[in-house]
Amino acid sequence: MDRRTRLAFFSALLLTLVSCARKPIEQASFDPSTYTELTFNDSDSMDPAWSYDTASDEVILNVYEPLFMFKGSSTKKLVPLIAAEVPTRDNGLISPDGRTYTIPIRRNVTFQDGTPMTMQDVRYSILRFILQDRDAGPSPLLLEPLTGYAGTRNDKGKNVPGIFKKAEDSVQIHGWNLVLHLPRPFSPLPTILASWAPIVSKKWAAEHGDWNGSKATWKKYNNPEKQTSYFFEHAFGTGPFVLVRWDRNTHEIVLRRNDHYWRTPARLKYVIIKGIDEFETRKLMIEAGQADSIYADREVFEQVQNIPHVQIADDLPTLEINPIVFFTFKINGTANPFIGSGKLDGKGIPLDFFNDVNVRKGFAYAFDYKDYINEVLDGKGIQPTGVVPQGLLGYNPHQQIYSYNPQKAIYYFKKAFGGQVWQKGFKFTAVYNAGNIPRQSLLQVLKHTVEALNPRFNIEVRPMDWPEFLDSYISSKLPIFVLAWQADYPDAYDFVFPMLDSQGAYPGPQHFADPRIDRLIDEAVAETNPAIRKKLYWRIQRLAYEDVPDLPVLQPLDYRTQRDWVKGWVNNPIFPDAPYGCYYYPVYKELPPAQKKRPESAP
Amino acid sequence: MLKFIAKRLLFLPLVMLGVTMLLFGALQFLSPAMRASLYIHDPRQLSALNEVIQKYGLNKPMPVQYWIWLKQVLHGNLGYSETAKMPVSDAIRAFFPATFELTLVSFIPILFFGIYFGTLSAVKKDKLLDQITRIVAITGYSLPSFVLGLFLLMIFYGHFQIFPPGRYSLDVDLLVHSASFHHYTGLLTLDALLNGDFAAALDIFSHMVLPAITLIYISVALLLRITRSSMLEELGKDYVRTARAKGLPESVVIKKHARRNALIPVVTLSSLLFIGLLSGVVITETIFDFPGIGRWSVIAAQQLDVPGVMGSTLLSAFLFVTANMISDILYAFVDPRIRLR
Repeated sequence: MDRRTRLAFFSALLLTLVSCARKPIEQASFDPSTYTELTFNDSDSMDPAWSYDTASDEVILNVYEPLFMFKGSSTKKLVPLIAAEVPTRDNGLISPDGRTYTIPIRRNVTFQDGTPMTMQDVRYSILRFILQDRDAGPSPLLLEPLTGYAGTRNDKGKNVPGIFKKAEDSVQIHGWNLVLHLPRPFSPLPTILASWAPIVSKKWAAEHGDWNGSKATWKKYNNPEKQTSYFFEHAFGTGPFVLVRWDRNTHEIVLRRNDHYWRTPARLKYVIIKGIDEFETRKLMIEAGQADSIYADREVFEQVQNIPHVQIADDLPTLEINPIVFFTFKINGTANPFIGSGKLDGKGIPLDFFNDVNVRKGFAYAFDYKDYINEVLDGKGIQPTGVVPQGLLGYNPHQQIYSYNPQKAIYYFKKAFGGQVWQKGFKFTAVYNAGNIPRQSLLQVLKHTVEALNPRFNIEVRPMDWPEFLDSYISSKLPIFVLAWQADYPDAYDFVFPMLDSQGAYPGPQHFADPRIDRLIDEAVAETNPAIRKKLYWRIQRLAYEDVPDLPVLQPLDYRTQRDWVKGWVNNPIFPDAPYGCYYYPVYKELPPAQKKRPESAP
Repeated sequence: MLKFIAKRLLFLPLVMLGVTMLLFGALQFLSPAMRASLYIHDPRQLSALNEVIQKYGLNKPMPVQYWIWLKQVLHGNLGYSETAKMPVSDAIRAFFPATFELTLVSFIPILFFGIYFGTLSAVKKDKLLDQITRIVAITGYSLPSFVLGLFLLMIFYGHFQIFPPGRYSLDVDLLVHSASFHHYTGLLTLDALLNGDFAAALDIFSHMVLPAITLIYISVALLLRITRSSMLEELGKDYVRTARAKGLPESVVIKKHARRNALIPVVTLSSLLFIGLLSGVVITETIFDFPGIGRWSVIAAQQLDVPGVMGSTLLSAFLFVTANMISDILYAFVDPRIRLR
C-alpha cells in the first residue's frame, strides 16, 4: 500500500466515524409523546388466555381491559372498567348465598377500530380464558371458582367429561348483565376478574382462525401450542393503547395510543417497552434521556442514585413473600447428593429429618431475621407474620413470629429425635437458584447461625441452576430450598393455598399436609363475610406457625428508577411487573420548570 | 476445483447429522424435569411440571425424540424456539443478518490492520512501531471484551453521547418497520442505502461502530501476532536472502515474495476468526444490545431450548464446513504449489 492509498484509507475511515459521531436522532429534543421503558424480561405471548408472565401481562394490561380495575394504588378497592358496577353484597349484585354474581356491563365500550363491544364478546372472553387452559397457564385461576375444577384435563391428558357444559352454564348473559353461577361461594372472584380474563373480540378472534365460541370446536383450542394462535403476536382490545409491534428480534414492543378509546385517549402517543439484558446499558440510556424508566434491582441501588434528572421512588410495597425457606418433610433418598450419609450419624440426615417439628423450630429460632433484613437488604423489607403479606385481608399484625433466639433453638434441637440431633449432629446441603444474591446470603446467614450452636452441625450452601433445581425440587430431594411467591391477584387465598394446602404448589413436593389447615382454607375462600374470613386466615397462619412447614423471611420493598419528567405514574403492587412495569393510561411527560427554561433541555 | 467443492458439499449433511446426534444425545443426559425448565419459569407454574413433561414428550426415549425432531427437519421445519419466541428458521433469518453485518464491518478492518501492521511490525522488528503493535496485541488479547465494551460505551455514549447501543434509533426503528421500507438484503445499512435513505444508513452504521471497534481490537491481536511471526520466519529464509542479493527492491521482496508465503497460516486463522464472528459474539452483542445470533444461541443453550440449540448448532456446522472449504480454495490462490484434488 503506497503512501497515497494509505492516506486515502485512513481519511475515509476517519470521515465515516466523524459522520456517525452525532447525537442519536431521538435525543435531539425532549419528546413528551413517547415513553420508553427498559426492562430485563422478555414477553412470552400477547394472548391474555396464555400469558402468565409479568412482561407480557404488562402489555396486556395496557391493550386489553378487564371487568374491574384497582383504584389507584389500592389493592382492595375496585372500580368498574368494562363493568358498569362492582358487585357487592350491599348493592345486591352478589346473591345472599354468594354463588351468583350479576355484573352490569357498560354499553359504550369500543374496540380499537371503533367497533362496539357486545355482551357476546364479554362471555366469549371469559370462556376462552378458562377453556384454553394450557399447561402451566393462568386458566385455573378462574376455572376453579367458576366450575369447581382445577383443570380441563384429567391426569391422562383427556378432557374432563362435561367440562364445557359446566363452563357454559356458569357464564351467562342476561341483557347487558353478565351472570356468573359458581358451584360454591368464592370470595376472591372480583379481584381475579380485575386481574385476569380481559375482554377480547369474538368476531376478530374467529376471523383470524381462533376459537369461534362453539362447543363443537373448543377441544381443538384446548391446551394449544402457543404460536398457533393469532393472539400470540397480535392484539385487538378495548384498552388505552394498541399493540403496533412486538419485535422479538430486538426485544421491543411498541404501543400506540388508541384514538378510538371509549374514555378520553391517553396523553402518551407511543410507549416503547424494550428488553435490554445489560444493566450498564440501561443505566447509560436513562442517563442520556433515551429511556424514561429502567429496571434496576436492589443490588444496583447505589449505582442509580444521584444521576441528574433521574428520580428514585423507594420503599414501594410489594405483594410477594421473597425469600421463603421450605422444609421437605419426606426427602427422596434415591441418589440424593444433598443428605450426606442419609443417616443421623453426624455425616448426613435421615429422610424424615424435617418431619420432626423440633428440628423445624430449631431452624426457625436459629435464623437472625433482623440482621439479615437490616444488614443484607439495607432494611428494605419487613419480616412477614405469616404467608399472607401486609396489605391483604388476612394479614395479622399481631401474629407471633419467629425471631433469632439461640437458646430456644438449642432447646428444640436438643428435643429433636430424642436428643440424637444434638448429640450426633447433622450434615446436609441447602441450595438456592444460582445468581440470586439475597437467597445466597440468607442461606449463608442460616449456615453461620446454626453452625454456631453446635460444632457438630454442618450445612453446605450451594447454588443451582434453575433446570437442576426443578429436577431436584420435583423429586423431593432438597432438604431445604429457598423460593418465593408473588400474588396472582390480591387475596390471601392466593398465598395460603399454594404454600399451605396439601394440594398447593409447594406442599406437594414438601410432603406437608395438615388436614386442619386444608379445611380452614376451603372454609375461608367460601366465606363472604370479610370479618369472618380474616379470622379464618389468622387461624390458618397460627397453625402454620406451630407446624413450621416454611419460614417466610421477607416481604420486600421495591424501588423505581425514572426520569424526573415522568408524571402521573401510580404504583400498584398488583400491576404486572410493578414497580418497573406500568399502567400507562394516566402517565404523561412534562419537563420540570428548571429544565423548561433551556431551549434544548434534553440531556 | 468443482469436484472438490461438490465433495465438500456432500460431506456437509453428514457433518450436520453427526453434530446434531451428538448434541441430542448429550442433552438426554439431562432429566425430563430439567428440560421442562424451558416452559416453567415461575414458581407459580411449578405444579404443572409433570403436565409439561408429558405434553412435550420429554420423557420419551432418546431415539424417539430424535426421530421426531429429524422428521420435522426433513419436512423443512426446524421446530419452534421458545427462547426466540419464533420458529427456529425465522430466528436464524432474524438474527443472522445483524451478526453478518457486524461481522462484515469488523472483519475487513481486522484483516487490514492484522496483515498490514503484522507485516510492518516484522519488517521493522524491535523498532518503535513493532513495540506499539506488540502492546496493542497483548492488551487486545488479554482484555476481556465486556471490559472494553463497557469502557467504550461509557466514554462515547455515556460521556460524549455518540454511538448509542442497540440496532438503530427510534426514528429509524419506525422507518424500517414501515411498509415503505423494503428489506432487500436483510443487511440494514445496505437496505437503507438501497431505499435511498442515507441518514438512516448512517444511523444504523453508527450503532455498529462501538461493537465493531470492540471486536476489531480484540480479534486483530491474534492476526497481528501470527502475521508478524510468520513474516519473520519467511524473512529469514534463503529465498528472501537470494531475492535481496539479486537486487530486487525491498518492497517487492516483502510484498511479492515473503508476505505471500507468510499468508498461508493467516488464511487459516482468518477463516476461523470469520466463523467465530459469524457464529456470534455473545458478550459484545449483550453489552451493546445488538440483536445477533450469538446472544440467542447462548440463551437457548442456557435455557435448554433444544430446537434453538439444534438450529444454531446446524448453522455453526454449516458455516464451519463452508468457511473451511473457502479457506482451502484460498490456499490455492495464495500458494500455487498447493493444488486441490
